[in-house]
Amino acid sequence: MTKKKNDNKSTNKILIELFMTQVGSITNVIDEQGEKIFVKDNLLSSDEIKDYSLEFMELLVTVLHAGDVIDRRGVEYKALRRFFTEFSNQIQVRGGSLEEFIRYIQFLQKVFLEGLEHDANLTFNESREVLLLVAGIFNDISLDVFNVYLEEKERTIQAQQDEIKQTSTPITEIWDGVLTLPIIGTLDSSRTVSVMENLLSRIEQDRARVVVMDITGVVAIDSQVSHHLIQMMRAIGLMGAKAILTGIRPDIARALTSLNIDLDDVMTRSTLSEGLKEAFIYLGIETCRVDKKA
Amino acid sequence: MLRGMHLTAIGDGNMLLEPTDGLDPSSPDEYIAELTEVLQSEGAHTLMYDLKQVPLIDQVYYTWLVYLNNLCRLTNVELIIVNIRTTVAFSLAMSLKQPPPFKCSLDVDRARQGITITLK
Repeated sequence: MTKKKNDNKSTNKILIELFMTQVGSITNVIDEQGEKIFVKDNLLSSDEIKDYSLEFMELLVTVLHAGDVIDRRGVEYKALRRFFTEFSNQIQVRGGSLEEFIRYIQFLQKVFLEGLEHDANLTFNESREVLLLVAGIFNDISLDVFNVYLEEKERTIQAQQDEIKQTSTPITEIWDGVLTLPIIGTLDSSRTVSVMENLLSRIEQDRARVVVMDITGVVAIDSQVSHHLIQMMRAIGLMGAKAILTGIRPDIARALTSLNIDLDDVMTRSTLSEGLKEAFIYLGIETCRVDKKA
Repeated sequence: MLRGMHLTAIGDGNMLLEPTDGLDPSSPDEYIAELTEVLQSEGAHTLMYDLKQVPLIDQVYYTWLVYLNNLCRLTNVELIIVNIRTTVAFSLAMSLKQPPPFKCSLDVDRARQGITITLK
């Protein structure tokens, strides 16, 4: 007969009752597990764990109290999800892993499900409903946390790519009006665009007269890469600066020849120093050794 | 004053051409006779074409510049493109199949000093 006691109650109410009767033990277990996962790696302090546990309990009760059925678009539910995204963000910032956080969420879910076992008053259907409700809530939370993790990873990868782009094509003014651009790696379309934008701005800003482009660090060359090089040389010329291409290694020269690339209108020199000498000649600069003894 | 452009003698046989909004690059023939007359009457040997106010060079505009360069060669005048914007240089370099026939310089001062680049 006791099993008919809950017949008219919503799943939310059943879960609230279950939660309220066991709140003390649930809180203690959650705190203990939080300590095990986060405190040992110095990701959170004991006080922070307690604060987070308390906030989680409050938000969960608010969600359950909001109606007979959980409104997944409701502000209460959104607040609970936001709480976990912010929590996981903090763990990530402090060097925690996604695995640790997911383990923690799974543990929270397990605590609630274990509570079901201890309530003999629940019918099979009620237990099933509560189980589905709890699983739904924690699945949403896990997905949110996973998305936060992915977004953070993508941001990190993008930042690293930007940094590599910047450092792999440093434009340096090595003499008044002379810029050097060592190109390392491969020249794809997106990199050509970013290099050209930076280079043309520097020509304008530094009023450069010569740009020495060194391709010693270019691993391989194909028709697309050579086409990008020619476009860069033309853009430099349109800005009124002289472009000198240096560092054409024998294998690169062979590749350019076999690709039938016309470099007639491009000034080439074997090494960067040769290119620099050519730049000096173009600028009318003479360099000479100074005898220190004299 | 010629329609669609300001043409100014800036000394030493140099003329500065500043295109205005009224310039129609798709009809180059409309300007040729008058322009030739001015260049010859001023005894110009260099025509500096100022692209400072030109935000984009499409195929039509580029054809106009090549046309103008051909005219200059016929009249023994050197065409120098000056003050090209970085964005314009970038997009033009991307679209060109052949190097442009005209000379380029960073700005008017550089061009007057004879610091020009021949791409062809």
